[in-house]
Amino acid sequence: MRLLELLWLNALFCVIPGSLFAGAAVEGRVELPKSRSAPVQAKRYEIVTKAGVLSTQPPLAVVYLTGNFSRPASFPLKEVAQRDLTFIPALLPIEAGTRVQFPNLDDTYHNIFSYSPAKRFDLGRYRPEERPIPSVVFDKPGLVTLRCDIHEHMRGLILVLSTPYFVMTDTAGRFRLDMLPSGHYTLKAWVDSRTTREKPVDLREGQTLHVDLP
Amino acid sequence: MSATSETRNREVRSFRTRLFAAIMVIVATLTALGFYLAQRKITADAERNLQQTFQTEISSMHKLEELRHAALADRCKTLAAKPRIHAAIEDDAIDLLYPSAKEELRDLMEGDEPPPEQAARSLHARFYRFLDSTGGVIKPPNASDVGELDAHTEAQLSLSKLPDTQQIGYVQSGGTIHEVIAVPIFSTDTGDLVSALVVGFKPFEPEDKHTGMQSGIWVNGNLHLPAFPLSVRTSLNEKITRALNDSVSDQNYFRVDLAGAPQLLFYKLLNPASSFPPAYEICVHPVATWTAQLNRLRWQIGGAGALLLLGGFFASHLVAVRMSAPLKKLALDSEESRAERERAEAALATTAEELERSTRYSADASHQLKSPLTVLRIGLESLLEREGFKREIYEELSTLLHQTRRLTGVIEDLLLLSRMDAGHLQIASTRVNLSQLVDEWLDDLGALPDSPDVKIEREFPPDLFVAGEKRYMSLIIQNLLENARKYNRLGGRIRVSALGNGSRVVLKIGNTGPTIPPGENIFERFHHSSSPSAASGHGIGLNLARELARLHGGNLRLVYSENDWTEFEVRFSTANGVSAVA
Repeated sequence: MRLLELLWLNALFCVIPGSLFAGAAVEGRVELPKSRSAPVQAKRYEIVTKAGVLSTQPPLAVVYLTGNFSRPASFPLKEVAQRDLTFIPALLPIEAGTRVQFPNLDDTYHNIFSYSPAKRFDLGRYRPEERPIPSVVFDKPGLVTLRCDIHEHMRGLILVLSTPYFVMTDTAGRFRLDMLPSGHYTLKAWVDSRTTREKPVDLREGQTLHVDLP
Repeated sequence: MSATSETRNREVRSFRTRLFAAIMVIVATLTALGFYLAQRKITADAERNLQQTFQTEISSMHKLEELRHAALADRCKTLAAKPRIHAAIEDDAIDLLYPSAKEELRDLMEGDEPPPEQAARSLHARFYRFLDSTGGVIKPPNASDVGELDAHTEAQLSLSKLPDTQQIGYVQSGGTIHEVIAVPIFSTDTGDLVSALVVGFKPFEPEDKHTGMQSGIWVNGNLHLPAFPLSVRTSLNEKITRALNDSVSDQNYFRVDLAGAPQLLFYKLLNPASSFPPAYEICVHPVATWTAQLNRLRWQIGGAGALLLLGGFFASHLVAVRMSAPLKKLALDSEESRAERERAEAALATTAEELERSTRYSADASHQLKSPLTVLRIGLESLLEREGFKREIYEELSTLLHQTRRLTGVIEDLLLLSRMDAGHLQIASTRVNLSQLVDEWLDDLGALPDSPDVKIEREFPPDLFVAGEKRYMSLIIQNLLENARKYNRLGGRIRVSALGNGSRVVLKIGNTGPTIPPGENIFERFHHSSSPSAASGHGIGLNLARELARLHGGNLRLVYSENDWTEFEVRFSTANGVSAVA
């Protein structure tokens, strides 16, 4: 029994590095806008609007690789919760076709809706104990602004992407994308609702490319 | 007499007529003045009243607007706070804007238009539209929900840019006018101006207070005044447009003639400093109502004036009669007094003539007498110088000569008097030493041959100067001293005193002897004492002396004549400012 476990582990270790280091990788840094306020200790981000531009505060970016990728058969279930009258996370990047559920973790009603062209929906009013948890499938790429009809200040963003390869930077703008397919692609960085930077990349198996998106 | 009374009557009648005419003129003037002032006042009052009505209307209009503004501002604030409105505007979901706002603005659009008298209490909109960030109208997906408008009217709602304050405008569509209020919508997130809500209302319609007033709105060269037919409206519109072009003021009024009826037209800018085209409230008041009032007043004043004139007629008649009555009496009295005066004048003229004749006669007589008297005197003197006559003859001649001299003196006195009477005597006034003159005469008095034994007392300061002509003053003093001596008694006395008293010098000459009976006019010419006396004069001395004293600006009077003492007083003027003659 013990031996069997060890064998399993051994086999797993043999497989994981292979899968872990298979494919190409990109790492680098996205130049982020200056934060207008001190970083929030609780790591809570909020969505701010300035002159019609939505961004996170403190600034974060989403880095993603665009190209023709095969659509997976199934998508993981994602979640944007409402807690303390904010969306958590404030910015969620997902692949098109992903279902996102919106659990209400507050003691009050919420009414999540969006008028964004990428996805119009209205979940109506619901309470924390609402089951099933209201959810929406985002099948069209684009930026979806989440609002609550009851709490006008609440803002959330869902960045619907047509790629499975995406990652969020840290607050310094650093990122790393692993397990990428080889080939010629475009690397993009979403900074805010108006700003998306991009760079063409040539990815090779087993290589880690360093790309900065200033 | 009948002729004069007729003249008098005529004069009185003419006076009465003039008085009457004057009173009538005054009454008529007062009436006209009252009429003029009343008319001016009523015109001013009427204009002021109309203006007040207009202002009241404007202010109720503004009140309604304020109410609408407040309600809309509130509504827009709520709208702007709505996440769905924000989402619709910010997330480019304009098609969802009107549906999102529909619920919020539902009460504005529901129901029928309230009657005008309830307009101030209810907020009923005809339509609403949102403006996009450029100020253009966002087309509603379903116009029936937000009030249908034709394209032309909808275009009038656009603004060149989004307003940041409430704006009032008036738009015309077909035969209807809408009051529109544009309210800005600020994002609650960013404070940015994101949109504007334009709501159209039925304009305020004033209640008809039976003033005949018609009101409307002028905007963009169009006059909305449905009470008038098109032709009248067109001509009125031209006048208003011209007046607005010429005027710099936001409000004014002027007179217009509409189909021959005079009207007063008021206008006032309704939306100063608005992004919408300027709109004016127009009020047209028929002047007819107050013209009628004015006419009524004219009649009243005219009637009152006529009554006043009538009253004035009787009153002035009465007054004229009453006032002319004393005049009539006065005329009569003056008639009598005139006759009396004429008689007195005639008498006076006769007297003057007689006086003149007597003066002339006296002068003539004196002259005629003087020459033979001189001859007589010279003859007597030459006879007296001869020798060989008896002593009695000499005495007789001497007496005759004395009488002749006396006669000469009388004649000279008379001559002087007659000159004075005729007014021919002129005084050449000089500075005369009265003290010296009196002294000289007193000395002469003592040297006279027939002087009785009288004691002379002198009580005057030396060098007392008076103004006068020396020889006439000398004559006065001589007269008085001679009388004092002549009418004295044996062992009597004469006292001469003089005293300067300011502008006057008073000389007193008193003597002992028989007194003058009271009531006897000793100053009368040719007076003769009633009491028999040894000594008597020719009766012109005192008269002459007094005339001369008066001629010198002084006087002579008897001050005392009692108990063996008679005293005369002469007043002279002191010699101030008269050149001295030694």
